[in-house]
Amino acid sequence: MNDAFTIEQKSDHIIGRFAAMASPCELLIETKDPLLANHLTSLAYKESQRIEQKFSRYLPNNLMANINHRMGKAVAIDDETFRLLEFANTCFELSDGMFDITSGVLRKAWKFDGSDNLPTPDAVKVLMPHIGWRKVKYTQSSITLAKGMELDFGGIGKEYAVDCVAKLCAESASTTSIVVNFGGDIQVTRARHNSQPWHIGIENPEDDNSTTKVLKIVSGGLATSGDARRYLLKDGKHYSHILNPETGYPTETAARSVTVAAPHCIQAGLLATMALLKGPNAEVFLEQQDVKFWCYR
Amino acid sequence: MQLISKNSLTNKVRKTANVNAALAAATCALLGTSAVVQADEGLWEMDAALLYYGETERVTAVEGVFSAKKDFGDEHIFSTKITADSLTGASASGAVAQPNAQTYTRPSGKGQYVVAAGEVPLDDTFHDTRVQLEAQWTQPLWNDMRGSTGVHLSKEYDYLSIAVNGSLAKDFNQKNTTVSAGLSLAYDTIDPEGGRPVAFSEMVIDEGQFANEEAYQAAFDATRQTDTDDKTTVDLMFGVTQIINRRILMQFNYGLSMSDGYHTDPFKVLSVVNDQGLTQSLVHEDRPTERTRHNFYWQTKYALDSGVADISYRYATDDWDINSHTIDSRFRFNLSDNTYIQPHFRYYQQSAADFYQPFLLEDSSLPTFASADYRLGEMTAYTIGLKYGMTMPSGNEWAFRVEYYQQDPKNAGFDAPGALQQLDLYPSVKAVIAQVSYSF
Repeated sequence: MNDAFTIEQKSDHIIGRFAAMASPCELLIETKDPLLANHLTSLAYKESQRIEQKFSRYLPNNLMANINHRMGKAVAIDDETFRLLEFANTCFELSDGMFDITSGVLRKAWKFDGSDNLPTPDAVKVLMPHIGWRKVKYTQSSITLAKGMELDFGGIGKEYAVDCVAKLCAESASTTSIVVNFGGDIQVTRARHNSQPWHIGIENPEDDNSTTKVLKIVSGGLATSGDARRYLLKDGKHYSHILNPETGYPTETAARSVTVAAPHCIQAGLLATMALLKGPNAEVFLEQQDVKFWCYR
Repeated sequence: MQLISKNSLTNKVRKTANVNAALAAATCALLGTSAVVQADEGLWEMDAALLYYGETERVTAVEGVFSAKKDFGDEHIFSTKITADSLTGASASGAVAQPNAQTYTRPSGKGQYVVAAGEVPLDDTFHDTRVQLEAQWTQPLWNDMRGSTGVHLSKEYDYLSIAVNGSLAKDFNQKNTTVSAGLSLAYDTIDPEGGRPVAFSEMVIDEGQFANEEAYQAAFDATRQTDTDDKTTVDLMFGVTQIINRRILMQFNYGLSMSDGYHTDPFKVLSVVNDQGLTQSLVHEDRPTERTRHNFYWQTKYALDSGVADISYRYATDDWDINSHTIDSRFRFNLSDNTYIQPHFRYYQQSAADFYQPFLLEDSSLPTFASADYRLGEMTAYTIGLKYGMTMPSGNEWAFRVEYYQQDPKNAGFDAPGALQQLDLYPSVKAVIAQVSYSF
């Protein structure tokens, strides 16, 4: 056994738990075999560690630090990074530029701590030249960022990790139904043997008291974007933490949180994020996508 | 949330052409997985097909099929099918050709038809309309088990068939092996126009020997039983499907079919010939009331990089002594992402039923059972065909199929007396099949 994760036997499944990406992570495994559960949880833990080490922007000496602080010089990238960049590019195009992984620098001006501390217009304005996905040059083997620009995979990293872990688990135990749940971003590898839904407790975003509501999921992915606790409130006006990369200011009348169900967690996550960026049109947008969703305002 | 089949998936994605579809594709590229789409409920998958079957100088059939299938979630699948056939034309009566013209009474007793000298006697009043309805429900049960149950109804002018079926399938060995068992019960009733002929009764032909219409009718009626008759059939099926590897799938089935009741074809007759081969009379056929069939089936599907090869072999044997071998092969070649061609070849061979006789001899005693139906005789048959399919930008698919079928009856060792030696007793049946189908 490893201290990094724990295993808990339930009546008809085993739960593996660990922490990664600033979230509680769990695997619900439809098995009675503790060795299988241990193996899968270990696999999941290692994979999420790998992804966090590689793509977190909070770590000093990883790939992201290298890309973000090269100041105009090309940095070699591997195939996985290229595929993530391609995915981010597709998301940028599909959202008409609203989903932009270079917009993370705005965090230097905006601190969504529930206070009334709005940044000064100048503080935002000075960051704007450093935003713009179209300015990023990348090929299959390298990427070049202008000085002052930064990439932030925060908007897709956790969902990506969930999907990667689910894929590894499915390859390792193809006949076992496994729920990968990283802080509410969820992927089910396959339906349970009796085709009953999994019951998963997730935090209620409408409630600060951390009550959980129980969600039923049979297969596919589920992801939530938005955080009801991250906002600013000044003169009775609510500022959401969803920032528009074109203005540098919060999206007006954005939903507090959006949860979407889709075949893959990362797909659900992007739909949820794009819906938030649509402001008042989130529900209309999601209706058009023909997906199951829950919008909290 | 559940997966729906790839077919309806493409429909859905293409029709909405939305962000979600593009995102799904991007996700698959990112994760290196295959595309699956969730939907709250599956869509109806529908197929419509129109088939033409034309035998040279014989039967022409037009058949329309409409089928629909829906996944109500978690593999709870309902499927239904409606088939309507219309048959017209002539079919072999069982009588032999003669050096002179022959006059026959129609099976209904109303009217006559004449077959020219040297011609194969065909009953040209053959026409019928058949409607079939099927419904099937399949769902998972427990422990990797699936259950399926269905009903089947088929109605012709003089024939009604009702069947129910049920089957269970269980997966083993990480779903690489599936074992299944099924049972089907069918009940058929027949009430032919003009009644069922009495076994071996002589065909009444009005050649002026009757004093009046009533006398003819009385003689005709004496050869007929007016009540309906029926047949019950029990089918048992056991199957094993095995995934051999990523590319090969194999299936073995064993089927046992037991039927009890009226098997005779009320429209078929036998010629009674003298030692010169000349027809003296025509008698109605009679078949055993029981039949037990066994069939063994093996199928292999092989996935190529650009297509699928599908080869099967069936051996069937029954207590009527009809033993048959069928080899069927289809090769699907993908011409592009959206189009394919599929050549088809089928070869069939059967031995004759023990009571099959091309004719009866005047001086011999009557057998217990006899039929001159060419379908119970020794024969070989082959089909060659080609299918072309194309997927439209909407995701719907068109398919076109053209096939040629030839059936060559053989002499199963009967010596033809006199005049019959100069006549074709085993004429080939040649047919063209054309089909258009649309899946949406």
